[in-house]
Formats: sequence, C-alpha cells, structure tokens
Amino acid sequence: MRETYGSVLPGMNLEDLSGKLIVIEGTDGVGRSTQINLLKPWLEQQGRAVLDTGMTRSDLAGKGIKQAKEGHTLGRITLSLFYATDFVDRLEKQIVPALRAGFVVLTDRYIYSLMARAMVRGVDAPWLRNVYSFALKPDAMFYLRISVDDLIPRVVFSRGFDYWESGMDLHPSEDMYESFRKYQTALLAQFDRLAEEYSFTVIDATPDIPTVFGQLKEAVSRVLGPPEAAPAVVERKAAAAAASSVPPRGVASDGDAAA
Amino acid sequence: MKRYGEHRFPGKLFVVEGIDGSGKSTQLGLLHQWLQAEGYGTVFSEWNSSLLVRDTTKRGKKKRMLTPASFSLIHATDFADRTEHNIIPLLKAGAVVLCDRYIYTAFARDVVRGMDRQWVRELYSFAVKPTVAFYFRIPLEVALNRLRNGRNGIKFYEAGMDLGLSSDSEESFEIFQGRIIEEYEKIVPEYELTPVDATLPIEVQQAQMRQIVLARLAQAKRLRVAP
Repeated sequence: MRETYGSVLPGMNLEDLSGKLIVIEGTDGVGRSTQINLLKPWLEQQGRAVLDTGMTRSDLAGKGIKQAKEGHTLGRITLSLFYATDFVDRLEKQIVPALRAGFVVLTDRYIYSLMARAMVRGVDAPWLRNVYSFALKPDAMFYLRISVDDLIPRVVFSRGFDYWESGMDLHPSEDMYESFRKYQTALLAQFDRLAEEYSFTVIDATPDIPTVFGQLKEAVSRVLGPPEAAPAVVERKAAAAAASSVPPRGVASDGDAAA
Repeated sequence: MKRYGEHRFPGKLFVVEGIDGSGKSTQLGLLHQWLQAEGYGTVFSEWNSSLLVRDTTKRGKKKRMLTPASFSLIHATDFADRTEHNIIPLLKAGAVVLCDRYIYTAFARDVVRGMDRQWVRELYSFAVKPTVAFYFRIPLEVALNRLRNGRNGIKFYEAGMDLGLSSDSEESFEIFQGRIIEEYEKIVPEYELTPVDATLPIEVQQAQMRQIVLARLAQAKRLRVAP
C-alpha cells in the first residue's frame, strides 16, 4: 500500500496505486522539462503509459496562479496556499487516477520545490510539512543538481532572467543579475537540505543534455525494472496502442479517487 | 512567520461565528454602526478577497470541481490573502476590524467534510488571534425556521450537497448544519470563543456584545476618522 507524509485525504484509497510516481526536482532553468520531454517518449517506446504533470497545470487553480503572478500582488502565505490548491487538484484528479491505472507518472517538480521556494520567503518549515502531509510518497525523486555559477550562463543564453526566478519579490537587489544570484543561492541551499531530509537521488546536471539523460535513463530503469514481456504478437499491439498518450482526463472519469 | 496568538498590533479584531440563521451578521452590523458613532476607525473586512483568488473559488464552485481538500485549500488561500493584504495592515494602522466569519468557520466546515481536525487547525495557524470571537449559539430548529422565510434557494456547497447526505437540498442542508453545530461546540472551549445566546431578543444580545467590546477597547488608542 502506498504511503503519504502523514494525513490521508478523505475519499483517497491508497491501495492498488500500482503505477510509479517519479519526481524530477531541481531549480529554475536546470533542464527538468527538457529531460522529461526525453524520458516520456523513451518510456512510451518500451510500452509504458506515461502521464506528465507539473506546477500550475491544474484545471482548478493553474490559470489563477499565472494571472496572480503577473500582477506580483500575492503575499507569501497566499502564494504558498495557491500552489497547494493547484497541487491537491492535480494529485486527486490526475496523479492518483493515473497511478491506479498503472501509469508511470513523471512530475516536473513536486512538494519539495514548493517548500523550498516558500522557505526562502520566510514561511515556516513545520507549517509547510503539515500543509503537504497528504502528498503521496513517490517511488523515486531525482534531483538535478547544479551550482549557481553553472546555472547562470544557461539561463542567460536561453530565456533570460525572470522576475520570480530572480526572487525579485524579495527585493534582494535592484539588479536582476545580483538578485538572481542571491535568490538562487538561497534556493539551492534549501534544495540541498531537502535532498538530505527526503533522500533524493542526486543527478549532476552540469554536463550536456545527452549525458544527463543517460544518467536519468539508468536511474529510472532501476526504479521501474525491465518492461514486462508480451507473450503474443496480438497483445503487443494492444499494449502499444494503450501506451500512445492516453489522455489523463479519460482516466480521471473512471477512477474512484475522483469521488 | 508569526503564528496564532503571536501577533501584537495596536488595532483590535472582533469576529462573529455561528451557523446560518443565527443572527450573527445582524449583530455585527449593529456593532459596526455603534463603533463608528463612538468615533472608532472601524473597518468591515469582507469575506471576499483579491479578484484572482475569488475567481478560482467561484469557478470551482460553479463547475462543482471541488473536493473536500481543494475546497479547504482554496478557502485557506482566500483567507491568507485577506490576512496578508487587509486584516494585518489595518490592525497595524490601529483600526478596529470586524469579520463576519473567521477561521472557526473553516475548522467546522472542513472537518465535517472529512478533513483531519489537526491538519486544518495547523493550516490556519498563520491567522491573527481575534481580540474577541463571538459564537452565536442557537438550536438548529430555530435557525432553520428563521431561514425558511427569507431564503431563495440553497447553493450546492452551502447545503453540503457534495457530501451526498441527501439528494434533497433542504434535507442535506439540515443534516450538514447539525454537524457544523457539533464541530462548533468543540471549538468554543478549545479556542475560547465567547458564546452569545442567539435566542435572546436582538437588543439584549447587542447590549452584551457592546459591553464586552467596550471593555477591550478601553485601553486602545482611538483612531480618529476624518469628519
């Protein structure tokens, strides 16, 4: 039976969640989504059904958070709770039904990023641990680790400095570069602390994309084990059809966790 | 991050709690008028907040996409926004702040929906402890009788229809409110709410409230309102 970090949500049955929950964690711009975009087709080729999800992708709160962040108007506790709302909606409506249907769930960030970001903003760790105590314990957490010095060129040469990723709401400096450096240093320190507390598997994200992908493939394979062999040709075809991107909404409608 | 009971502000916070039909809003309205007439800078903190959070809450309710957990968290988000952007700045400025419903409403409602009692209390631990929290105690039947006349249709979540207690919204509402009263009765001693007998005449209840409020305002700096 699957475990949570403490509390269990009403109506959530922890039995028969036979899929695998794999978390990719790491700071802004470290390459999490790039790696997930590589992992998903690779897993699907093995005949596994994959659901990928990430922050602000809930039906309920995703849009609201994005709009609120444009206005830079939310307080730190409000923002934390808005993200928690987004998270619980995805947990109940996407993640749990997919796990029940035997999917591999790849999640771009999990509760740890939310906790790290809130802690840098002065929100209490024990309070955050309580808020997220209903979260399912994942089967694996891969932490893409990088130093600030290696992170900066990556961000500069891709999308540039972002207001929130530079912690500008904390006013660490007028200068976006200085802010980014200070904020990300503080954030990485929190990630490192969480990596220890929750025993993340650390993946060095400094090398190029194929090298990191190679390491991740190996680590993910260890978690999933070998793909189950299909005894007959007919069944192999069926498995391939099932694996070709089954939309998560369809899963939600017949999963009992939606109750 | 300051926790419940740790905040120190010059302003005062008075809240009213109780089930629908207990008369708490009427009493708070009367208190508001009186405080203003007495010259206190009094602000009524509305139970709605920034449009953004409110839009999400509305959408969730309208489309009936809320579970007990997301219902709880979206309301906590909304309340956090009011705390950070409204209640705390007003109290810092020395205002008398009045709230119609506070965290105890969430404690009662969320627990009836099946959320863990301790989890909800910890969730709201960032809230400012009220100077006085009045609880308008009323037998369920009396409240229901009051509501039968003035009410035009109970909303889905208000009636606790999401709990599947009854397919009839009237009946569901009654069962739901009954359970809310049971939760309130646990909260009253735990959080030292001040009970008011809500079956007494309106003027008698109001006189009791004013007496209690006045005693707490005696040492407060009076925030002068521009004429």
